[in-house]
Amino acid sequence: MAASVARIAARRASNVIFVAFCYLVTAIALIGLTAILWTLVANGIGGLNLDVFTLPTPPTGERGGLFNSIVGTIFLCSMGMAIALTVGLIAGTWLAEYSGSSRLGAVVRFLNDVLLSAPSILIGVFVWGVLVQPFHTFSALAGGVALAIIAVPVITRTTEDVLRLQPIALRESGVALGSPFWRVIQSVVWKAARSGILTGALLAFARISGESAPLLFTSFGNQFTNWDPRKPISSLGQVIFAFANTPYDDLRRLAWAGALIVTAAVLTVIIITRILTRQQKRA
Amino acid sequence: MSLTALESQDVSIERIDNAAIKLDVQELDFYYGKKHALKSVSIPFAERAVTALIGPSGCGKSTLLRTLNRMYALYPGQRATGRIMFDGEDILRPGVNLAMLRARIGMVFQKPTPFPMSIYDNVAFGVRLYESLSKADMDNRVEEALRRAALWDEVKDHLSASGLGLSGGQQQRLCVARGIAVKPEILLLDEPTSALDPISSAKLEETVTQLKSDYTIVVVTHNMGQAARVSDYTGFMYLGELVEFGETGTVFTKPATRRASDYVTGRFG
Repeated sequence: MAASVARIAARRASNVIFVAFCYLVTAIALIGLTAILWTLVANGIGGLNLDVFTLPTPPTGERGGLFNSIVGTIFLCSMGMAIALTVGLIAGTWLAEYSGSSRLGAVVRFLNDVLLSAPSILIGVFVWGVLVQPFHTFSALAGGVALAIIAVPVITRTTEDVLRLQPIALRESGVALGSPFWRVIQSVVWKAARSGILTGALLAFARISGESAPLLFTSFGNQFTNWDPRKPISSLGQVIFAFANTPYDDLRRLAWAGALIVTAAVLTVIIITRILTRQQKRA
Repeated sequence: MSLTALESQDVSIERIDNAAIKLDVQELDFYYGKKHALKSVSIPFAERAVTALIGPSGCGKSTLLRTLNRMYALYPGQRATGRIMFDGEDILRPGVNLAMLRARIGMVFQKPTPFPMSIYDNVAFGVRLYESLSKADMDNRVEEALRRAALWDEVKDHLSASGLGLSGGQQQRLCVARGIAVKPEILLLDEPTSALDPISSAKLEETVTQLKSDYTIVVVTHNMGQAARVSDYTGFMYLGELVEFGETGTVFTKPATRRASDYVTGRFG
């Protein structure tokens, strides 16, 4: 009896230690996150004004904002996500539903994982070789494609994973009603996996929205506001990088404001999508 | 219905009147890759009657059920040889339109599988594949299916709510409603109550009994009591073979084979 009491006490103690450890580690992660957000807000908020959202990037000493970069980032991310969602959703679906245990499936899955961890600057160089050099000009289009190539493996991977989580019986019961398999995937399985697929898309979006390395060789950057996809275009990530490296305080302030805008935008998109899907789930 | 018993020690298959047979399985062999899962099984399924398939786990009863709507065809390594005659046509023949076949032979699974959509859309899903009904006709069809599945009274006021929000028993009856909304001729039930509590099970059994007047029903079950209560005919399977088949009363009270007798009396299995 005494022995078992001692054992229970030991178990309690180890439980307390483990839980305390979990709290500690969570706290460390949260402290880092808060510190980043705090620095961002503290430094960025001062630089925010109407000019930031209406004027293009200035040379130092002059009045200016980030309008051209905001337009550029919205264009690049929209194009990147449009391509990546289409390709990633279809590729992930093929891997999960159709590739079976085929060799081709294994090869595609492996290559996708390689692409997932490829340095983004390499992707920039690749797109430079394919879409910039042959046309003798940097372009917004090339930038969008580079971002798409970064986002595709993220979406492919998460799509495959969440589709595999859906029970086989769900597919079989669709098929048992006389529905063709592709139709079951489209109207039942995708729906069931919707929030997971969306999480993958958001991850990919968050990842590409602040990219600068792959854009150096593709969309290049532009001092002026550009609406033509065949021409170079500015982007926030790149302007932050460029301005943060200057000795001029006004440009640095703009860089901080840009960083705050990117972070706030990503956060807003994620929160809005979450709210929308939660409502859909309840309906 | 005339029944003639072919007495034998090992195997006992009663024949039933040909005119009453809706689906006739003849010398069916089934393979999962190299594994021989069904061995020359011949069993008739009578029209507008419930046939129960019983036997210990792994005996092949679910496999047999999954050949009847060719569900196994989704998986490349699985194949069946023999004949399954459905209204004079062999459904194992290559070139059979599987989607049409499955629209005529509905299936309900062990675990409830509501689709992630409203109760109404769940029931309408299969109907929309083959028929374009007016709103009013579709409403009627959905109501009729839900009534027959004994779920209407519980859900009629929130048809637009998600099917995922129902209890397990309700979800399973929703799956039955979804299956019968397509107006199939045959309904296959694969251990439909094994994930349900006793009260939900009883409701589902009642549903099955009522559906019998219009459908040919095949039910796989581990529950002896359930087989005895709902079925008209019973097939006892063991190690991939059909050991005994006959009227449920006979199989349960005067089984002709030793193995069936041991199983139904609970001596093994």
